[in-house]
Amino acid sequence: MGKHMTANGQHLSEEELIEHYYGEDAAVSHVARHLKACAKCAAEYSALERDLGGVKILAAPPRGEGYGHEVWRSIRGSLQVYEPKKRNWSGFGFRRPLALATACALLIAAAFVAGRAWQRKQTQTVAVANSPTGRDGEIGHGEARERVVVWVLGDHLDRSERLLVELNHASGKDAAEPLQSEARELLASNRLVRQSAKQSGDPALDAALDRLERLLVEVANEPNGLSESDLNRLRQEMNTDGLLFDVRVLRSRVGEQQPNGAAGLKGVSL
Amino acid sequence: MEESDHAICRAVLAGDKDAYGTLVTRYSQVVFRVAYRITGNEDDADEVVQETFLRGYQKLAAFEGRSSFATWIYRIASNCALDLVGRRKMEAQSRVAEESAPERGEAQVADIKAGPDRLLLSREIEATQEAAMRSLTATERTAFVLRHMEDRSTQEIAAVLDIAPNAAKQAVFRAVQKLRRELAPLWVNT
Repeated sequence: MGKHMTANGQHLSEEELIEHYYGEDAAVSHVARHLKACAKCAAEYSALERDLGGVKILAAPPRGEGYGHEVWRSIRGSLQVYEPKKRNWSGFGFRRPLALATACALLIAAAFVAGRAWQRKQTQTVAVANSPTGRDGEIGHGEARERVVVWVLGDHLDRSERLLVELNHASGKDAAEPLQSEARELLASNRLVRQSAKQSGDPALDAALDRLERLLVEVANEPNGLSESDLNRLRQEMNTDGLLFDVRVLRSRVGEQQPNGAAGLKGVSL
Repeated sequence: MEESDHAICRAVLAGDKDAYGTLVTRYSQVVFRVAYRITGNEDDADEVVQETFLRGYQKLAAFEGRSSFATWIYRIASNCALDLVGRRKMEAQSRVAEESAPERGEAQVADIKAGPDRLLLSREIEATQEAAMRSLTATERTAFVLRHMEDRSTQEIAAVLDIAPNAAKQAVFRAVQKLRRELAPLWVNT
């Protein structure tokens, strides 16, 4: 148990057996055939079936019929009434194709502008997108430029969120290595995005990116890799839970505004 | 006729706060079930249920109806439970690391011949399983619960955990490997 391959390398690995158990193997028939033909793998598989079959499926303690009402009563007081938005929610279903087409058009426009900006300066797309030039006088260039920035910011927050989630649950050196390389990459983009945030005068975004930068520096620059205790220390000292929450809030703000373009951004107006 | 979840979401976003109560009552049981399976604790699961619906309400404007409300709230619940398990682990680690050894010791006592009382044996097995589940990281535990108990696919687990499908698969593998190691003493005498 626990070993992946046997000596001759022809047996099924434990991972393959686990995949087969959960019915997620790509080559079901191949595995099934092998199990019929190979006694050793069949024995391994039986042991796996026995072990996993023995893991009791936790039955949740019963909750009465009024449970939902109790939950609602307990949270109702903490909820603030939504102010009706200008946005028409009746467009939920049937306007989806229109929204999709608009999103595609925006994406193409953004890619076009990004390509031009890249050609012009070859570096620092974000900085270019934020500089108040507009000298080539293209119609709608400013708006498209802002969309690129919002897209870049959204992507950056997305990646940061993933890193923070991984960091919060990572254990051991194996898990820490990819975190470090991702942190190094994010560090560079974080500096650019932060510079833009500073110019836009968005204190919430700037503060969150500042905290994120300090964390990324810590994660990226640990020369001997991150041990379990390093990870715990980072989580506590840098309050990664709180930071994750901030990043999620910012990301949802950006995400909310993306389909409408950057013009209507509240607080994320780069 | 029962009002659709999307219609209720629209009503809530249009200012009808109480409409959200219908969604809460509709999905509390499902959310409690997954929360209990991930946290393994009744009180924690209740806390997760409240947290889930609070977060759900706050993020409702971002819910665009691409998936069903049930799937969306399920993801939030799994995330809340994952966060709570992570927090509990941190709290336990920072307190003292003295509890794990005796638990494992007790678990290894499972001996069929020595225990004629089957109820006692079943409690031993439960205790061993609980201890084994506690040995998993929050991500591994959530991935395993979703895979093994909630019958979710790798893609769904990846979406819930917000990680790549391959990372989700690896989390399940690691969980299975650890559990098998921890549960191995149970099979010694059978």
